[in-house]
Amino acid sequence: MQTEELDKEDQALQALLKDYPVPEASEAFYDQALARATHEGSRRLRNRWIMTGFGSAVAAGIALWFVGGFLMNTPDIPPTEPGIPGVTMTLEDPRTVNLVFASATALDSAILTVTLPDGIELAGFPGQREISWQTSLNEGKNLLPLELIAVSPIGGEVLARLEHKDRNRTFRLRIEVT
Amino acid sequence: MTSKHRPPDRQLAFERMVRPHLDRLYRLAWRLTGRRPEAEDLFQELLIKAYGKLDDLARIDEPGSWLSRVMYNLFVDERRRFARRRLHTVHDGELAGEGIEGMPGNDNPVGNNERLDAIRALEAALSELSDEHRIVVLLHDSEGYKLKEIHELTGLPVGTIKSRLHRARTRLRDILTQSGTFP
Repeated sequence: MQTEELDKEDQALQALLKDYPVPEASEAFYDQALARATHEGSRRLRNRWIMTGFGSAVAAGIALWFVGGFLMNTPDIPPTEPGIPGVTMTLEDPRTVNLVFASATALDSAILTVTLPDGIELAGFPGQREISWQTSLNEGKNLLPLELIAVSPIGGEVLARLEHKDRNRTFRLRIEVT
Repeated sequence: MTSKHRPPDRQLAFERMVRPHLDRLYRLAWRLTGRRPEAEDLFQELLIKAYGKLDDLARIDEPGSWLSRVMYNLFVDERRRFARRRLHTVHDGELAGEGIEGMPGNDNPVGNNERLDAIRALEAALSELSDEHRIVVLLHDSEGYKLKEIHELTGLPVGTIKSRLHRARTRLRDILTQSGTFP
């Protein structure tokens, strides 16, 4: 009897897994991905030649850099310091804050570090004050959704620091907790 | 042939070689990463890498298998990057909800609700598995890869794959039974 139930569950699981969908990509997405691949692939090949021919110092000298960050949502608390946007959060209530990094050129192997004040956590990283990961930026606007949770009413400032080679930019976001 | 004609030729050759494999590669990227932004990043990174190795690609008998292996290795090498990568290009309307509701399925609302509930439960259960177990069970049971194909893709011994498959199924069954998905 127990074996029969296990068999039934196995069959149900197999059917469920077989039916577990993957979203379909559109032809337009494929076209775009192929175009990006040829563009970015060519750029990397060119960079490889530049690095080989002239050395990394010259390559670093001609590399374009511009990156700026801003908050996608309208800031909902007036800035106490010019240029620093802020959001209000409710204690224990997760809120997604979308930061957008605008880059004039595609950047590979950038390091993004989010530093959190005491009392603010990033969903999925409980108790961590600093979370770092490697990423790449496409040319144009790049979105960073951060799901923040206020675990104490202190609030503070969230820093998102983007580093690429010897350059870096830090984006500041003020959090108030009600 | 002048040098200015080379890039379009190269581009056309690249597209001709990889386009027949895009659907399978996109599905693999989803199965490996489990989320759209990471899947698209991995898929894109593979294509960029493949473009740089076009000359190698042209000499390979089974480009689809080769591209799959490159994607898997890319995923393993840069797992941290693809597992935690949160940056992606903003497209109009992209901030609207995204999830399994947008996935293909039949249009029967009642059937769809039950199916969606079951799939949500499965999705939650899969998230409790390690990458190693989740990937093996999805490739085998959802994508229909044979053990030999998983071995060729991952380089894992068939015995290890079987063991992971068994453990993954057992764990999923337990979770789904506890959650009431299986009565």
